[in-house]
Amino acid sequence: MPRNVERLGTAAFRIGYIAIFVVMLLPLGIVVATSFSASGNLQFPPQALSVQWYSAFFADVVWLRAFDNSLVAGIGTTVVATFMGITAAFGLEAHRGRFGSILTPIVILPLLIPPVILGVTLLVYFSRLGLRSSYLSIILAHSLWATPLVFFVMQSVFQRFDWQLRDAGMDLGANPIRVFVHVILPNVKSGILVSALLAFIISLQEFVMALFLSNYQTQTIPVLAWNSLRQSLTPIVSVVSTFLILVSVVGLLVAALATNIEFVAKRLS
Amino acid sequence: MSEIELQNLSKSFGDIDAVTDVSLSVRDGELLCLLGPSGCGKSTTMRMISGLETPSSGTVYIGEADVTDQPAYDRDTSMVFQNWALFPYKTVLENVAFGLKMRGMGKQQRRDRASEMLERVHMDGYESHSPTDLSGGQKQRVALARSLAVDPDVLLLDEPLSNLDKRLREEMEIELKDIHEEFQKTFVHVTHNQDEAFTLADRIGIMNEGRLVQVGEPNEVYRDPKNKFVEEFLGDTNFVSGTVSDIDGQYGYLMTEFDSEIRVPVASETQPETSLTVSLRPEFMQIAPITDSSNRASHQTRADGNGGGGVSGTVESTIYRGSSIRHVVDIGGEQLFVEQGVTDQTAIDEGDTVELRWDVDDILVFRPDGTRVRD
Repeated sequence: MPRNVERLGTAAFRIGYIAIFVVMLLPLGIVVATSFSASGNLQFPPQALSVQWYSAFFADVVWLRAFDNSLVAGIGTTVVATFMGITAAFGLEAHRGRFGSILTPIVILPLLIPPVILGVTLLVYFSRLGLRSSYLSIILAHSLWATPLVFFVMQSVFQRFDWQLRDAGMDLGANPIRVFVHVILPNVKSGILVSALLAFIISLQEFVMALFLSNYQTQTIPVLAWNSLRQSLTPIVSVVSTFLILVSVVGLLVAALATNIEFVAKRLS
Repeated sequence: MSEIELQNLSKSFGDIDAVTDVSLSVRDGELLCLLGPSGCGKSTTMRMISGLETPSSGTVYIGEADVTDQPAYDRDTSMVFQNWALFPYKTVLENVAFGLKMRGMGKQQRRDRASEMLERVHMDGYESHSPTDLSGGQKQRVALARSLAVDPDVLLLDEPLSNLDKRLREEMEIELKDIHEEFQKTFVHVTHNQDEAFTLADRIGIMNEGRLVQVGEPNEVYRDPKNKFVEEFLGDTNFVSGTVSDIDGQYGYLMTEFDSEIRVPVASETQPETSLTVSLRPEFMQIAPITDSSNRASHQTRADGNGGGGVSGTVESTIYRGSSIRHVVDIGGEQLFVEQGVTDQTAIDEGDTVELRWDVDDILVFRPDGTRVRD
């Protein structure tokens, strides 16, 4: 009898869990579905299916430019945030000093400030520097968010690294740069890949700061989506959203694969 | 030439003094063991020789050169690490060839040399294996080959045998000794294991609490320990404390914890009433059963005129330890242990009354601060 109750409890938990999950993921399905709508309005479920909005997207110079802008901002953010996050985490783990304990709260600070406030503040600040509406301003703003996340991922990666390997490398004649390349990098490369993807996706989906910091020429996809939504609710926004979802899912798969390969390799050895 | 000279070497980490004022010369081609308990500073001393730590003060010479501020990658030393620190993402061959690659040796040449080294440590056939596939003993051999491959002036071994089981460790001790003889290099070997140090070392340096306590040949440090710490660390012994009651020339009478006097050698400056601790090593005590009932005065000391000494008591327990039997003898409430070879036919059982005898001149005497009393 108690066994049946237990089974029932487990089943109920699973059903509830799946229900929550479905409710959370459902909007994504709706977005994808509406992108294939044949009608000119955003409607669900679509009355008829077509890919005309996909053609419209690829025919629209403004959208394509926004796509390029997002790509530039994303790659730029990935480079800046990955470099800064990795070096900070490496420095903290490799040379534990007094500075380390105050570094972590400082690094986390940008994540705690509302993006609206960051956006306004950065707008004033970058205008002063003459960087207003430039790619660089968007990249730096996004890096403010992406760097802490890269830092935390890499910190946990470096914590698991056996620092005796670094000693062994130095002892065998490798200078610090060669130690990093030949000894440390092979051990942490999947962590670097994961954190780089994370940085890219953060930049890709960030909207509020980009809204403040971009203009018509440099606007990213979320900014343009917002602007066009204010005028009309066309399914082209759903097309763009579908692309963003696709990019994020592919990124996640790559990350999962990279970490799993490491995991599988460890299991096999 | 690759002798090592450490002058007044100190290292502190924050408020912790890991190594304090260590001065030591290691001769060219010598195998020196740094021996001491965990945290005594022996590994830190070795890391300063390798360049992985920079001394807080003091100087390191290798050969004629002052290398104190030379980074590890510029030094001609090579280290075998406690956990072997093999690169997990490289094959065994790549591991062994790594140092040669860093020195700019050509690919074919370094592969040949690495194979040769692997053959020397009997690991040929494992070239393409991952180090994570290897057993502890095999990793140990690969680590050794990796360090030897770069042909260092000085080979540093940081407790490389401590993670191996006893049989394998003894096997590797012999092999290390062979390799030392074959390669004619200066070896510094850090260990906390006395047996390992005695087996391997040309000389032993004993460290405690960051200081180098004594350096000497194995038999020298064992026979003639500088203080109570060395005596305690190098082997099992009985320490007996007491107060000097009377002085008789070179000897004094010590009123001991077990309520009887024993005769001990003392220095000329020793005064009555001073507290002393003596070491009664199990190997210089003979145990014999007392059968003569007239001699049954329990825990009586005796001192014959020829420098002999002894006490009597009751056997409390008897432990078989393989090649020897350890008897714990109760003397007036205090325990002394003594060892008897298994081939010794004298049957001694628990509860027997026995006599422990020794040569008074074998006794080592220490002051309360641990220093030796000697003339």
